[in-house]
Amino acid sequence: MPAGIPFEDARKRYRPGAVPTVRSDDTSVDELLKGYHPDHGLNARVALSIGVNQGDPCQPDLARYLQANALIDDIDIAGAQVISTDVLIIGGGGGGCAAALIAAKQGAQVILATKLRLGDSNTVMAEGGIQAAVGEDDSPQLHFEDTLRAGHFCGEPELVAQMVMDGPDVIRWLIQLGVMFDLEEGRPMGGNLLRKKPGGASAARILSYRDYTGLEMMRVLREAVDLDPAVEVWNRCPAVELLSDERGRCAGAVIYNLESRTYVLVRARAVILATGGAGRLHLNAFPTSNHYGATADGLVLAYRIGAHLRELDSFQYHPTGIAYPAHLAGGLISEAARSAGAKLINGEGERFVDELKPRDVVASAILRECAQGRGIDRDGQTGVFLDTPTLEMENPGILAKRLVTLRHLARKCGHDAALEPFLVYPTLHYQNGGVAIDKDGATSVPGLFCVGEVTGGIHGRNRLMGNALLDILSMGRRAGAKAAESGAGAMAGRAGIGHVHAWQRQLTLAGLPLHVKAPQLFPGYAHFDLRVDAALRRGKWGGAGGGVR
Amino acid sequence: MGLVRLSIEGHQVQAPANCSILQAFLYAGETLVEGVGCMGQGVCGSCRVMVRHSGEQEVKTALGCETLVEAGMQVAFLDYFTVSSRHRYRLDEIGDSWQALRTLSEIFPEASHCRHCSGCDRACPKGLDVQRGVNLAVAGELAESSDVFDECVMCNLCTLACPEHIRPNHLGLFVRRMIASQSLRPANLMRRLQQIERGEMKIDFDAPGAQPPR
Repeated sequence: MPAGIPFEDARKRYRPGAVPTVRSDDTSVDELLKGYHPDHGLNARVALSIGVNQGDPCQPDLARYLQANALIDDIDIAGAQVISTDVLIIGGGGGGCAAALIAAKQGAQVILATKLRLGDSNTVMAEGGIQAAVGEDDSPQLHFEDTLRAGHFCGEPELVAQMVMDGPDVIRWLIQLGVMFDLEEGRPMGGNLLRKKPGGASAARILSYRDYTGLEMMRVLREAVDLDPAVEVWNRCPAVELLSDERGRCAGAVIYNLESRTYVLVRARAVILATGGAGRLHLNAFPTSNHYGATADGLVLAYRIGAHLRELDSFQYHPTGIAYPAHLAGGLISEAARSAGAKLINGEGERFVDELKPRDVVASAILRECAQGRGIDRDGQTGVFLDTPTLEMENPGILAKRLVTLRHLARKCGHDAALEPFLVYPTLHYQNGGVAIDKDGATSVPGLFCVGEVTGGIHGRNRLMGNALLDILSMGRRAGAKAAESGAGAMAGRAGIGHVHAWQRQLTLAGLPLHVKAPQLFPGYAHFDLRVDAALRRGKWGGAGGGVR
Repeated sequence: MGLVRLSIEGHQVQAPANCSILQAFLYAGETLVEGVGCMGQGVCGSCRVMVRHSGEQEVKTALGCETLVEAGMQVAFLDYFTVSSRHRYRLDEIGDSWQALRTLSEIFPEASHCRHCSGCDRACPKGLDVQRGVNLAVAGELAESSDVFDECVMCNLCTLACPEHIRPNHLGLFVRRMIASQSLRPANLMRRLQQIERGEMKIDFDAPGAQPPR
């Protein structure tokens, strides 16, 4: 990247309240994406050499994890405790909780195992809101078309149609659980839900609770799950491998208990993976907005047991990650800011893109400005301005009332959002592709369901703001219901890791190393090694608890 | 950039001056696999720490992802709570909203025992008026109580601090959930649900807008 414009010069040029010139630009969207989006370019993809997607393109960093050896072998689980349940859900975000609540309601016994703590997820971090077509000037049809178009028509129309039609009912369900939403005039009975327009949409369709919709949603879902006697929650219990029976069906999972440092085999009539995305793998060396546990665990495990994946070369880089200060780099500034009218300004004081275009377009435009030397350099960090002072001047009080998180964030960055612009740069935000599913969340492996970011097919190659929260709840409820229903069948006779042995043979045949292991479970900088950790069980640090291992 | 020395869980560590406690812990090469979640946004409430600043007597509670390190700081992690059998309820079984006060005192019988010690207020890393929120709920001022807990991240520090076992954040969430589930009936949502139920909102897969541009 060429040197950009020093912050001091750019700051002098920037005038709050002024109407900036718009940089004239005749590049087509296609050229812009091909030229600057990290999904494109020479090193953007490799062909997978083993597994059901052999020959398909995949992001290179992710390919290493997908084509890795298992973390455990027979010897690790010999003698491990075996527990049986109807439905095993892996992942404690919004999707996992929705699945748990519905499966439990249908009478299934549910175990929900989560790597961190129930609710620690990208759901709780979602700020902007959730899409549901409730406006008079809007319809599920428009929502359907917007979602397909934003995804570059790579999504499955059937899945998208089902999700958009579920939208209003999902909102009603959330309200029944006790989730609040912003209203136009604050009249709870007979008022209207406040609607905002997301980038890339044709109508105002974002429903929100201030700018911490995910927190409002997650605290309610977590409480509901915690209070449900039919759901057993296992915190600090990552899944390290799936279990299969002799016919290749998914028969449960191997769970590692971080507190007791022991493995547990959970046999289940149905398994639902709701493990989220891959941001903490820092693909293409990007910073990320994702929570600490987003290490593609479910994707890796599903692929190894034989589930078909899709669009593995497509990720979303959110346009407005924090660029400065460095210790907050990658943290998200919600699209709510641009949605409310905040503009992006380069080092020459110009606007350079329609800020409400889809995220891949806006992110590519920022990357182009930086690549062509019009970025702004501050203490080794590069980005462009997000003009919050002008937004506040044009809408007095908006930062205090509607963009609370944004204002807090500015304070953490060391400035007042009403006086100084943010320095922003795209941040790895979302895994567009994932495990292929049907309308019930069922995968190509019998007994295995997937929900939410771990799946592919709904958002195509680019996701609209607010469609992730809708996706996890719509599909979470459906997968929970179907899994509970399919639980009526008999439990598989045998549950083991036969598929791992078959996988190891494939690795060897393909000349791939056996010492590379996945899922990673925690980011590299967590300094966690499963084998070392498990070996500590009877060691002198065996009793260590709290934050120190 | 200068390094500062501080103590985390009794380990002496060095870290760059403007990083958070969690970042300092990682920078020092420690293993971090619990008590961490959103890693900086301050919304998950997992990274609860006790902090004593250099030269101060008082130990304060905070979130480790939001608190910047200082020279001489002493930090200890606070474990999260396991599920409690206290205060169980099913929202869909709360019927008559005229009985809200009785329901509240049945589910949270300790709430009226508040001894106004302000322990919850001091414990809150978000600076919420937790004690006021509890007292408002008991008095039936539900909307105002709900506002107090608006930015609560459910870190459970107030629950840890309360000598009467009131579990203020769970009480606050109960009040909020009751209000939303009993009173939120948005007109535009109800109309759209009615249209969908009547079959007026079918998806046309062949519409021009659903086809890729040629």
